[in-house]
Amino acid sequence: MNLLLVEDDLDLGNGVRIALANQGMDVVWVRRLDDALRTLDGGTFDMVLLDLGLPDGDGLDLLFRLRRDRQILPVLVLSARDALNDRLRSLDDGADDYLVKPFALAELLSRVRALARRSYGFNDETIRMRGLALHEPTRGVIVDGEPVELSRCEFDLLALLLKRTGRVVTRRVMEEQVLPGGQANGSNSLEVHISNLRRKIGQGYIRTVRGIGYVIDVQSLARSASK
Amino acid sequence: MLQGLAQRWKNWKQPSLMRRLLMAQMAVVALLWTMVIALLLYDSYEDPELLKYDKIFNTVLAIAQNMSGQPAAQQQTLAAFDAALLETVGDGDAASDSAPVMQVWQGDRLIYRSTAAVPVILNTALNRIETVRAGDREWRARTLASTTSDTRVMLAEPSVWRLTVTVMYRGFYLLPLVISLPFLIFPAWLSVRVALRPWRQVSKETSERGPADLTPLSYSPPHKELQPLVQSINSLLQRVRDSTSRERSLIADAAHELRTPLAAMRVNVEALKEQTTDEGQRELMGNLLRSNDRAARLVGQLLQLMRSDAVSGHGLPVMLALDALVQDRLAMIEGLASARSIELELVCDDHVPVLGERESLMSMIDNLINNAIKYSPEGATVVVRVSREGAQAVLRVTDRGPGIPGALRERVFDRFFRSPDQSQSGSGLGLAIVKSVVDRHGGEVALDEAPGGGLVATVRLPLAGADAPQHLQFG
Repeated sequence: MNLLLVEDDLDLGNGVRIALANQGMDVVWVRRLDDALRTLDGGTFDMVLLDLGLPDGDGLDLLFRLRRDRQILPVLVLSARDALNDRLRSLDDGADDYLVKPFALAELLSRVRALARRSYGFNDETIRMRGLALHEPTRGVIVDGEPVELSRCEFDLLALLLKRTGRVVTRRVMEEQVLPGGQANGSNSLEVHISNLRRKIGQGYIRTVRGIGYVIDVQSLARSASK
Repeated sequence: MLQGLAQRWKNWKQPSLMRRLLMAQMAVVALLWTMVIALLLYDSYEDPELLKYDKIFNTVLAIAQNMSGQPAAQQQTLAAFDAALLETVGDGDAASDSAPVMQVWQGDRLIYRSTAAVPVILNTALNRIETVRAGDREWRARTLASTTSDTRVMLAEPSVWRLTVTVMYRGFYLLPLVISLPFLIFPAWLSVRVALRPWRQVSKETSERGPADLTPLSYSPPHKELQPLVQSINSLLQRVRDSTSRERSLIADAAHELRTPLAAMRVNVEALKEQTTDEGQRELMGNLLRSNDRAARLVGQLLQLMRSDAVSGHGLPVMLALDALVQDRLAMIEGLASARSIELELVCDDHVPVLGERESLMSMIDNLINNAIKYSPEGATVVVRVSREGAQAVLRVTDRGPGIPGALRERVFDRFFRSPDQSQSGSGLGLAIVKSVVDRHGGEVALDEAPGGGLVATVRLPLAGADAPQHLQFG
């Protein structure tokens, strides 16, 4: 994967470059907006990691130019500005994701991978998580090698949870996005769907966060189960 | 009763501009009247009433001359006239000290005297009021001679400050003063009160300003006396506003600038940590990362605090569902909780609308829940409740941590205050942010001991809706 890193801070840029290179990614690191534009013209990249406050201009200018030229190149903004307005503005201007400094390396890596997945055409991909494999176009689900039959609602719920692996999906989001009729559907039907889903794919995957929502953890529940 | 009186006395004793003005007005009136009376007194001393009128002299002269052929009738008529004079000018008693004296001569013969008690009074010149010593007293005396005969008349009044006489005669000057003084006080009080109305307006507006509201006074009086006052208040407010915002942006900028080096430090240490397998080194790097976390959290909280304190709120208050907001934030933070093996639980009423700023409310919720997670022992459950109680939206966060001693429960809201027997790392800003956000939303926050141990933090915000009153302080 070819990444363009636009970051003016020497230590941070170098650190990110080395960390990403350790993960087997090819990183071109530039420190100025001009250089970034020239480098983009000169090569092909899979993704841009973009700092906003650059010595010769605002990173948002680059974003604006990319989107004006109808380039769908994914852009992950790395910024010290954490106000909601700044984040919204970047996302509205066409950023695909926004990470506030300082960030954990693990989070940067997982967001880079998620972005890459999406840009490669997420819909064609099979999402794999531990023993689960979910293929969205065919609505097929395989658990530990065995195909499993799911209802439409159950499949949508599982897809929603798998796409946000490691993050809690709130009940409200699930009800709004998956259940027909949204929240008006009676408070109990979500639990019914989830318990059906658990029965079909096995108990170890979906964890309940009471009152808040559900999550599929990246690591197996065995860790907390052993306690 | 006694206390009420004491309070009233205290109020009354307190210096008052109104009273000063009233006193000054009264003093001026009293002074003017005193001067008038003094003038009258002086006048009546310099020119005693009796001696001023030539007609009185002429009448006496006429009586003396025309009746000189009949001495008995002359005596009688003069005595009657003298009595009439005594009645008008003196107090009617010929023996009194203040009684006037009349003496009439024809040639060198004294043909009439008011009383034998008073010796003969002789003027040195005719037709002039003089002070003459006679007996053991001083007199103001005037002698007038007839133009056709050798008859002379001398009238004299004792030379004293004849206050009583003057008061008696000039009472019509004094009486209005005595009567009008009390009546003057009310119009004076009223006029001063009306005149001071712009002043009260200014003081009312000034008192409405607080640390959160440093906008200039909206009332600009046209009055010459008040304009400088209002101008200096406004410029003071302006200076305070400038310096607060300078200070705030300095802190925000500094916090901002710290983020990039913190990120650099973190990324480099993490990359390094991945390259080494030495357990000792990994542990040291873990310590570095934790310190880095703390510094990053402090920076984030400083920014949150500066934003929630900002005088002019950038975000307008919007209608928010507190239940949904809490659910979202809990979903975001759950990763942190599960990393510490802490379970989160939300118990939630449906439809809890509040009017507020999304970002500040989010940072309030985050800080409350982060605290609860931080201080809970491993494996514990943090329970979050969102409910409606009357006209209030209530958020309760209950943890199973060590709690906070009662004496410190107010102080923990102070910035950078940390409980002394506190082993957890923290900035001491979390609850300050909560407090600041809650204050801005017209709510209240309280810490109590949870039943069964631990701490319960309760935030009450005004419920939004047509029937709920709002006390928002957004600039």
